[in-house]
Amino acid sequence: MIYLQPLFAALALLLGGLRVAALDDARRARNFAFGVVAATALALGVTALVFRWIGGAELHAYGLTLLCSAEGWRESSPFVDLLVALLAVGLAPVVSHAPRTIAAILQVIALALGILAVDDPLALGGLWCAQLVVVTLELRRLSRTGAPPLAAGFLRYQGLAALCLLGGLYALQRGWTEEGVLALLVAIALREAVVPAHGWLTTLVEHAPLGLVVALVAPQTGVYVQLSVLHEHTGGELAHVFAAAAAVTGVIGALLGVVQTSARRAAGWLVISQTGLIAFGLENHSEVGFTGAMLGWQVMALSSSGFLMTIAALEARRGALSLQQPGGSFARTPRMAVAFLFLGFASVALPLTLGFVAEDLLVQGSVEEFPQVWLAVILSTALNGYTVMRCFFVLFSGTRRHIGEQDLSRREIAAVSVVMGVLLIGGLFPRVFLPSGAHAAGSVDAHAPAKTSDS
Amino acid sequence: MDLWLSFCVVTIVSAPALAVLVLGLLSWLGVRFTERWTASIVGAAFSTAAFAALASFIGILADGRSSVEVKLGSWFQVGHYSFEWSLLADRLSLPFATFAAMLVGLIGAFSRRYLHRELGFFRFYLLLSLFGAGVQVLVLAGGLDQAFFGWELVGLTSALLIAFFHERPKPVEHGLRAFLTYRLCDAGLLAALVWLHHKVGNSQFVEQGAAWATLRTAPELFDTALIGFLLLWASMGKSAQVPLGGWLPRAMEGPTPSSAIFYGSISIHLGPYLLLRSAHVLDAAPWVAAAVVVVGAATAVHGSFVGRVQTDIKSLLAHASMTQVGLILVEIGLGLRYVPLIHILGHATIRSLEILRSPSLLHDHHHLERAVGRQIPRTPFHLERLAPAALRPWLYRFALERGYHDVLLRKVALGVGALASVLDRVDRTVTAWLVGRSAEKRSRP
Repeated sequence: MIYLQPLFAALALLLGGLRVAALDDARRARNFAFGVVAATALALGVTALVFRWIGGAELHAYGLTLLCSAEGWRESSPFVDLLVALLAVGLAPVVSHAPRTIAAILQVIALALGILAVDDPLALGGLWCAQLVVVTLELRRLSRTGAPPLAAGFLRYQGLAALCLLGGLYALQRGWTEEGVLALLVAIALREAVVPAHGWLTTLVEHAPLGLVVALVAPQTGVYVQLSVLHEHTGGELAHVFAAAAAVTGVIGALLGVVQTSARRAAGWLVISQTGLIAFGLENHSEVGFTGAMLGWQVMALSSSGFLMTIAALEARRGALSLQQPGGSFARTPRMAVAFLFLGFASVALPLTLGFVAEDLLVQGSVEEFPQVWLAVILSTALNGYTVMRCFFVLFSGTRRHIGEQDLSRREIAAVSVVMGVLLIGGLFPRVFLPSGAHAAGSVDAHAPAKTSDS
Repeated sequence: MDLWLSFCVVTIVSAPALAVLVLGLLSWLGVRFTERWTASIVGAAFSTAAFAALASFIGILADGRSSVEVKLGSWFQVGHYSFEWSLLADRLSLPFATFAAMLVGLIGAFSRRYLHRELGFFRFYLLLSLFGAGVQVLVLAGGLDQAFFGWELVGLTSALLIAFFHERPKPVEHGLRAFLTYRLCDAGLLAALVWLHHKVGNSQFVEQGAAWATLRTAPELFDTALIGFLLLWASMGKSAQVPLGGWLPRAMEGPTPSSAIFYGSISIHLGPYLLLRSAHVLDAAPWVAAAVVVVGAATAVHGSFVGRVQTDIKSLLAHASMTQVGLILVEIGLGLRYVPLIHILGHATIRSLEILRSPSLLHDHHHLERAVGRQIPRTPFHLERLAPAALRPWLYRFALERGYHDVLLRKVALGVGALASVLDRVDRTVTAWLVGRSAEKRSRP
């Protein structure tokens, strides 16, 4: 089964990536890529509306079923991926993002869209590995230009993840369920940076171009595998162990985020912590908790991308961002400061954002199934909120010395405004965004081995 | 009449919310407001809210009812869980809502001159509106879920306003400290409402024969007590109770008008408000009521002692606020309901006036001395004389050190920080080994 909308979006981005890679000027490359992503998102939106109006169409060709429209989380996820791309490209500083890097961003997002487009384990494994190849090659290219050598370390973690994924998929096809589930859980843990398999992410966030990191991390392919392949096989002891590990990741990530001295590293731990909470929620067999995790997945993709890319934009103006000395002025870069604070808080459940709804559902749903762990979710979110505020205060206030950095440019404002608008409208009218999550919860719950009722 | 009352109650919340929306969205789009327009929008919004609150009050009295509940429907629903929005105007919420709307409007009018040409003039008004909207959502909430929504907004605006003078390091540091206290204590409120949903099925306030609608209690005493203690924990943070109150005198670094409205009148009393709304829980769990009395009494004594040795007026007023809020908690713990409500309104009025006048203290003092024609005598140390002479130096030291609470909290924070730092070091070492030293060693601070 192939979903045509994400497939066409993926092809548009791949073609755009080829053109961008051929350009010499980073500014032109960024503008072109931004245009491609914006046009693709617009086209996807229009076609989604049209198909919702006329009803979905189904085609059959060469033994394949081609679907013109998708339902549930498959409908919203391509939009989320394209918005992630909009941020990753729109806020990418030319200093750290050469045309080849921007092309790699488009390719990685295109592959993430490809994963959403096909419903076949073999294709899933292939596209997962292709993403890793693109990122590894780009990291290797960057290391040749004087950047830290990150490719080998990245491949050590993610190569193992890819092997586990392929092995797991093979085992499931052969009917070796337990071995397959175990291998897939290891793959997901590595890809979602569940502690102690997280080292690649903090290193990447700290040293790699943040646009590339966002493109790889924000669509959360591991979550997709957890949903589409693993969910129907898990349940019982193994799922609970994984959920507990993910919740512990949330707590450790939150605790370590508080003591970081670099903004990039603090943001890295914030992402690890929040991703851990989502992975925890996805192993929740209550409809409420699961829907909260689903919604959290999409909120997290948008807000963490915005948060990381705002750091990238600020870093391009100011240099390395230390959390030991206050710097910057809220008054001089008001839009950047507001975007930083809003997107940071959206990921940690600020009221008025969609994150609040996601966290509320996640916590309410997990209390029954995980009575020992749900309090940890609350504590993690509280500490993550403190980390966001600490970063905000240190980066945008506390000193009279300024170097006169510029506020967000028009392109940056456009990208950030769209994402903030989605999070704000979602926070005010969550029903608009909830059906996809609820639908998915319903469909997956049909396979769930043990479903508990919510109070 | 019902429709009219519902309209008035909805207006109390929607007018400030509209002001936030207009100011926030237009400024993001690049519209620059003049000081006059900014103050006018905020003033108009809160005047409307105040009139709507008064009209609701009169309408309820005229109709011979004790409360009006406006059900706005389900905000979102998944499975059996539904987040309901409803506004509850009753004997507890309406005095708070009326008072808050009037005071925010007055502070808005006062600040127009006080903050004239200040760099953050617009920011102050935006945050003031957000705070006002958050307070109205909180006090008119028909359930604890909604109250939590407003509670979080109040905490956020409080921290941002403490750090209003953002070019100085100290206000920022103090704003961060207040925010950490809020976050840790808000976790208690969130945990309480989750446990309430788990054990009771919802967190709506309901009429149970008490003075006003309150939370339901859980079937088991243990669960009720747990919820009560969590609510007390949340109140302790917001209302600066012992031993968490060290942030309050530091919070006075913010602009005087915001100090008056947050720490003299409204924000500081939201803890007691929450406990009054949970009166049924306190009645059902005597241990929680006893804990409320103990915390309140300890805070009152602490605030009174420490306030006596302060050398600046804002710190003194902060400790005076702590003392009064401590006494209010004692009253609540003892089972009184209307007395603490009257105490809150009286204290809030006086204290906000005192804080607003505090910048011109010396001027006022000279005026007073000129009016009476002689030096004003020092206040006699009646209470101090009650303490045994041998204890006085120790008490003085205790008061100067603010009860050693800050030292204690710093030790706890440093301990947690040290643990996290050790974990971080271990993580860096392991990561360096796994991803390759050349990449990781560059990240060492």
